[in-house]
Amino acid sequence: MRKRDLLLMANKNLWRRKARTILTCLGVVIGTASIVVMISLGIGLRVSMEKSMAQWGSLNIINVHPGMRYDENGNPTGEEKRMTDETVEELKAIPGVTAVSPVYNIDGEAQLGRKKGYLSIVGIDPAAMEELEFTVSHGRLLTPEDRFAIVAGSQVINNFWDERAARRGGGMMGEGPQQQDPAELLEQRIRLTIRNQAGNERKQNLFVVGILDETNMDRSWQVYGSIHDIKRMRDFMMQGANSSKQMLGPMAKEVIISGGGVMVSTGRASGSRGNRREDRSNDYNSIMVRTKDVAQTKEISKELRERGYNAWSMADSLEGIENTSRTMQAILGGIGGITLFVAALGITNTMIMSIYERTREIGIMKVIGASFADIRSIFLMEAALIGLFGGILGLGLSYGASEIINRISADYIQRGMGGPATNISVIPVWLAGFALVFSIFIGLAAGLYPASRAIRVSPMVAIRNE
Amino acid sequence: MSPKPILQAREIIKKYRIGTQAVSVLNGINLDIYHGEVVSILGKSGCGKTTFLNIAAGLERPTKGDIIIDGHYLNKISEKRMSAFRRKYIGFVFQLYNLIPSMNALENAILPMVFEGVPQKEREEKGRELLTIMGLGDRLKHKPNELSGGQRQRISLARAMINNPRIIFADEPTGNLDSRTTEEILNLLISTVRENGQTLLMVTHDLEVARHGDRIIEMVDGRIIN
Repeated sequence: MRKRDLLLMANKNLWRRKARTILTCLGVVIGTASIVVMISLGIGLRVSMEKSMAQWGSLNIINVHPGMRYDENGNPTGEEKRMTDETVEELKAIPGVTAVSPVYNIDGEAQLGRKKGYLSIVGIDPAAMEELEFTVSHGRLLTPEDRFAIVAGSQVINNFWDERAARRGGGMMGEGPQQQDPAELLEQRIRLTIRNQAGNERKQNLFVVGILDETNMDRSWQVYGSIHDIKRMRDFMMQGANSSKQMLGPMAKEVIISGGGVMVSTGRASGSRGNRREDRSNDYNSIMVRTKDVAQTKEISKELRERGYNAWSMADSLEGIENTSRTMQAILGGIGGITLFVAALGITNTMIMSIYERTREIGIMKVIGASFADIRSIFLMEAALIGLFGGILGLGLSYGASEIINRISADYIQRGMGGPATNISVIPVWLAGFALVFSIFIGLAAGLYPASRAIRVSPMVAIRNE
Repeated sequence: MSPKPILQAREIIKKYRIGTQAVSVLNGINLDIYHGEVVSILGKSGCGKTTFLNIAAGLERPTKGDIIIDGHYLNKISEKRMSAFRRKYIGFVFQLYNLIPSMNALENAILPMVFEGVPQKEREEKGRELLTIMGLGDRLKHKPNELSGGQRQRISLARAMINNPRIIFADEPTGNLDSRTTEEILNLLISTVRENGQTLLMVTHDLEVARHGDRIIEMVDGRIIN
């Protein structure tokens, strides 16, 4: 029997009993839709969590800091790792790492026209900037040729305030800080004041060549410059630190050599500095590592910790979220699965009834030459078609339900928190494909028993002349 | 008449168990039917003629004995392969036509070719041709319940012959038809069989019908008496 004939015959047989077929399909529709919608909620949950996490920092970047690692009880584990050029080379050699940049941090008072403020400057390798996922909304990224040029985070402008204007508009205090357009900072000259530990002061002009976009909130309050420039400023700030510890007076405290914007308190690093004989003034504050993808990030971040580094990345926190969403998906999918199982029983029931009605017909087909395989195929095909029709309609219903859920939740979120709306129900292509294949499979499985009964019908029933 | 029989029945015995009692339906049937013959089996109802026909066509297995069709021992053919064998060797005409009600005349007639795997265009052409011969050229798209008994039996004849089988079995083919239609159907059946060089084994309780055959075999109580 040809496949086309089989398909046409099965399809025709199904529609001889329209109401029954439609009702049976309806079971599959509901079953498929409930599985798909349930799983889509689990996926949507993960996607929206990932999205909000990505806003706080790139999932492909690992920050490596100096200092000891501590176990759960607060005991140091392993030796303290230093951040040197050798470290940079070691990190570069790890497979899966696409870019590495050493980082110096300095902070200082700054002046932008009449406005006063402070700057937290991060010195990185300009050549690696693009690889490290820096993206600008205005202007450009740094090039290795730039001298004392910076790229500013989107919120940096809000670090500056006009003292006179603030005094004039004293009554506006309650309204909180005014949001300023980040683009205002572009091509402006910022004058940074730094002091060294010997009490000397130096002013440095920095030219803003670019403004970062808002994809990475972790970077929005900092400005980025070439590591060579920052190193020179830092060298100035370090002057006197080694010669006389007594000079660490109140003046010097204004200069904070911060240990990166993220986690590690520099107290540990700088505290230990005094106790050791070796010169650590040229050590980097941290090292930024870019990996190929999230999976690599998790892996490499873990490996670095095993090597004794103080490594941390946004992606590390993903694992917990992924576990939660997997559990959610399993529970939700399970609920849908029960519905689909009931639908499968419906298919089996329908097919058995259909075989009862068509016993004579099956006998006739056997007499005129239908093989076992033909009979089995016809009934399996009918069952599979019920599954397929139900699956297609169920998928359509799922998309509709998903749309409605997302609209309602978007409304709710916008009214409640005012945050950006994310879809809480997401149906990826693989889920749609899976749903179709699975519903056909359910149909086939439900059809197995009826089909085996159909095969056993004796051709003699066609002969009986009652 | 060719010397080699197309169908041989050897000592066919069939017993049914009804409750604890064994009932003998066929008590050792021996029969040779030669290629091209038209044979009628005549007997009263309950004499076992239909059972014999079913066994000869491979629809039922005998308790004992062999059926040999064209050199093939039927009891050596498994139930699975039997359908393919029937498609090739056997056509069957029933008393109650046994058409599939959801299919039209053409679809019913060409159903065996569907199982044979013949492409649609080819089989519809053949079906149209055969149904035209049967006088149903203008009823191709009619469903069985829109047709008379004679017309339905014509479809059934076309279906039995569409694969050009060696031997046609007919179980009371005119049992449900009036005398005029009976004559028409019998003439059609026999002339087609002869034209195609096929063999016909027909079972009936009606002597008038049986007389159309080359040879009449009478059965009483599971035995051939003549």
